Amino acid sequence: MNPLRFTRRNLLRGGLAATAAIPLLNARRAQGDDTPPVRLVVMHTPNGTRNSLFWPTGSEADFKLNTITAPLEAYKSKLTFLKGIRLNDSLQNGALGGTLGSEHARGTGGMLTARPLNAGKEFVSFGNTTSGWGSGQSLDQYLAQKLAPPTTFKSLQLGVHVRDTEVRARISYTASNQPVPPREDPKDVFKSLFGAMMASPTPDGMADPALERLWAQRKSVFDISNAETQRLMGLVGSEDRKMLDAHLTAMRDVEARLVGTPGTSGMGGPGASCTPPTLGDFDLGVDDQYLQAGRAQMDLAAAALACDQTRILTFQWSYSESEHLFQFLKVNSAGINGNHHAISHDFSSSGTNYLAYNAIQTWYAEQVAYFLGKLDSYKEGDRTLLDNTIVLWASEIGESTQHDLAMMPYVLAGSAGGKLKAGRYLDFSSARKDNNQLLVSLGQAMGASDLTSFGDPSGATGPLSALA
Amino acid sequence: MIRGADDKKAHLLERFGLSQDTEHSLSRLLQSLKLAFPLIVAVGCSSTDGAGTDAAAGAAGSGSTSGAGAANSGDAPPVVGGPRPSAEACAQTQEVVRTPLRRLTRTEYTSTVRDLLNVDVSATLDIPADEVTGGFDNNAAVLTVSSLHAEKYVLVSEALAKLAVQKLSALTSGCDPTTTGEEACALAFAKSFGRRAFRRPTTAEDERQLMAAYAAGRTGGSYAEGIEVMIRAALQSSSFLYRLELTPATDVAAKRVPLSQFELATRLSYLVWGSGPDDALLDAAAQNQLATKEQVAAKARELLAQPKARAALNNFFEQWTSTRRLAITTKNTTLFPAFTNELRDAMAKELPAFLNDVLWSGDRKLQTLLTSPVAYVSGPLAQLYEVTPPAPNADGSPARVELPAQQARAGLLTQAGFLAVQGHPDQTSPVLRGKFVRSMLLCQPPPPPPADVDISVPSVDEGATARVRFGAHESAASSCNSCHLLMDPIGFAFEHFDAMGRYRQQENGQDLDVSGEILNAGDASLSGAFNGPAELATKLAGSKLVRDCVATQWFRFAAGRSEAAADACSLASMEDAFSNADGDIIDLVVATTQTDAFWYRPVTQ
Repeated sequence: MNPLRFTRRNLLRGGLAATAAIPLLNARRAQGDDTPPVRLVVMHTPNGTRNSLFWPTGSEADFKLNTITAPLEAYKSKLTFLKGIRLNDSLQNGALGGTLGSEHARGTGGMLTARPLNAGKEFVSFGNTTSGWGSGQSLDQYLAQKLAPPTTFKSLQLGVHVRDTEVRARISYTASNQPVPPREDPKDVFKSLFGAMMASPTPDGMADPALERLWAQRKSVFDISNAETQRLMGLVGSEDRKMLDAHLTAMRDVEARLVGTPGTSGMGGPGASCTPPTLGDFDLGVDDQYLQAGRAQMDLAAAALACDQTRILTFQWSYSESEHLFQFLKVNSAGINGNHHAISHDFSSSGTNYLAYNAIQTWYAEQVAYFLGKLDSYKEGDRTLLDNTIVLWASEIGESTQHDLAMMPYVLAGSAGGKLKAGRYLDFSSARKDNNQLLVSLGQAMGASDLTSFGDPSGATGPLSALA
Repeated sequence: MIRGADDKKAHLLERFGLSQDTEHSLSRLLQSLKLAFPLIVAVGCSSTDGAGTDAAAGAAGSGSTSGAGAANSGDAPPVVGGPRPSAEACAQTQEVVRTPLRRLTRTEYTSTVRDLLNVDVSATLDIPADEVTGGFDNNAAVLTVSSLHAEKYVLVSEALAKLAVQKLSALTSGCDPTTTGEEACALAFAKSFGRRAFRRPTTAEDERQLMAAYAAGRTGGSYAEGIEVMIRAALQSSSFLYRLELTPATDVAAKRVPLSQFELATRLSYLVWGSGPDDALLDAAAQNQLATKEQVAAKARELLAQPKARAALNNFFEQWTSTRRLAITTKNTTLFPAFTNELRDAMAKELPAFLNDVLWSGDRKLQTLLTSPVAYVSGPLAQLYEVTPPAPNADGSPARVELPAQQARAGLLTQAGFLAVQGHPDQTSPVLRGKFVRSMLLCQPPPPPPADVDISVPSVDEGATARVRFGAHESAASSCNSCHLLMDPIGFAFEHFDAMGRYRQQENGQDLDVSGEILNAGDASLSGAFNGPAELATKLAGSKLVRDCVATQWFRFAAGRSEAAADACSLASMEDAFSNADGDIIDLVVATTQTDAFWYRPVTQ
């Protein structure tokens, strides 16, 4: 075993290290469509929040940011705070799933699926609880399938130091028991996103003959393997058929970009200057280099959206119930020694852990602010990429000491191209709204106009009307 | 269990220093323990009853296909240490449990392509790590193919094929295209390589497809390029990526379908080698030499004698003991500056070296794995164990050393790698270590924490021992006590080892109390107090329950799924074989091949 070997690839040596701007074919513009697409980003940070320092003070239209969210001040007019969204009705209470999985696990698997975890006593690798994996399709995968955007990646899952491979590390599902793993190595992400662009036809339209042959060979192999999978689907039972069907879908999903189908690679949003980011050098196995790894992934995420490589993106920081270390953050002039999860459960209202938790949560808000700033820096017509996006910043639980699922720490940024009215602090605490409704709203804003309910039927239907 | 409830209560009060005020909660605790055992799983920690769980199964079903662990029938799966099926019942023809289609894990994929192509297979690390379910990365229900998998299967197959054709002559068994003809050589390769890749003789359709891939490479390219594209096609085929079992049922009225010879050979090779069958094993299948249980047992022992078996068993033990997680374990660099990549590598090498000694030149016993007071050191690990670095082995493998008696180390559970994984990045975790013993050695996962309870984890900067800090878990004020009494008193045994497994005399300047008890395990040989990890290990090593649990863990790993009701007879026979062989691990592996669960698949997949 070679621990963390995946961190030490040097894929960027040679040609791929080039960072010169790449001229892009703007297929959509060529088709006469100048309307910027709407994008969805879900950014997950672990271990909840501290309500007293997270939620703004003031009214819906006139509010002041609190300590933890202060780093977002520059984008205040583009934010929507959603206080009082609950996961618990569909995921926690009696009739529908009891206490399947810890709150961390339940929140992780339920956030975008709005469903309880599957039952299963053997899944005990998290907490002291038993459950299975997520029990249904997550919103991002639903939209990728339903809208089938004409982008290189129907959806993109990125992670920073997620490392783990169990239920607390997966927010995205194509179906029950089908978690979607995030890509964690920025160098690998870079290669997947921009490697094909590098090898794309030159500006004078001449493709590399060797590349064209590779594409043709790949096409033949796809045809052969897909036909074989389809043949096998007729021979297996219904459950296995679903697995092979997912396999076939995944192969078809990657085929277009691997065989050089024209018009599928890096089309570029209107006016986007589509420049691959420069990646620094860092070790993914070192907790102390969280910022560097996170920045690289955020830069790649922003570039992927700006270049219209994808319109649906999930972004995970560490895993839920994360024990990530923050020795690089100082509290009372000393680095934080404890791990995030342990600190998040300290009840004291003063002292080192109190300050450490605040510092970590604020640090995460700074990262969100960095990402929003990146998106806002891309102009798209009269708006910015941020305006044309909906970013949901979320955690798997609310108040961390309580493992609360009844008031999720949700903040939206961007307005989906003006579809959502931003710059507001919406407080549903006295009449809680279900997570399901938020997902319906996000889906509708993305263009799934006929979406009226999402997830477990115990949740409320219809959108969050206050958002529009 | 022998003591009456009142004796037990007094005993608990005394052991955990609880006052009489705790009596109420202890009554509640005893009540819940009584309810919980032996069917402790899925029962709430507090007064919550199990009703929610039953309802939940229905709810999950409504939104999903089958839960990854759902039993095949309405009957409850067998419980370790619980009621056993009668010999009469097991003598009848039993139905068998469906295993979902098994996709090769990344580990299996890697071993398989190494054996197929004999090239550097480091490219396979680009394939995403497999999802871990119940400690194992091969639970078939969740091993699906995402878009990321699809992308990597394509690119990795290209990287491997490119390397493979650099040794074209050896790869194609010396077939000379200039004399034999390119097409003829390619077809011969399609048949021989296809048979090994698909783990069965190729069909005309397979050959047509592989030759189509060859043609795609040969067109505009060379003969070698044709072979290269053929290899890519084989490695991207679902017949390669999945362990298909498609032999049709010949008797529709039968309760189960016997596997074909090639399917049995494939199960056998992945069980013992973690890789596909080689030509010799496929030849044996072709000659119907896996027709009887005796033949399969003999073949299993034959395969076990080959070096490939070592990596496969290491894979199980690294996952079962959780030391596979060393690769993703980090420690606070201020508190544990010694926890370098070098030390972590040395920790990761220790378990395979230990297994190498015990399983392949030692007594092969579970007891030895649990109690042996030795370490296998390389690099900085000798310093951690406070032993004089021994002379390195000629092959560079970690060298065996006796450990100082004072440390009271014993076997797997006191290896530094295990202790480092079962700890937080900044402090020890008696809870995690106790929970490990409870769930992976006793097969009794603790019930979940009660809903809506404040869950406070002791922080590292409090100046006390963990026993004092974690005492809150067991205090009357905490509704956590009924669960934590099952874990923490076991985990405290390891408190002489810090969060990276280093021996310490004291914690925060205070002496450590490493006494404890395994409460309510349901096995008399586990009851009674112990002091320190060596005594705990001795108790575990002498327990039938522990042996049965290990057999069950191995079953889960071997079958790629959790046990279900219809597995009861198969499991019982493995437990019996393991016990009769006095905990011989190799005999347990062979016993797996003698079960109905191994020989058959259900009529309806």
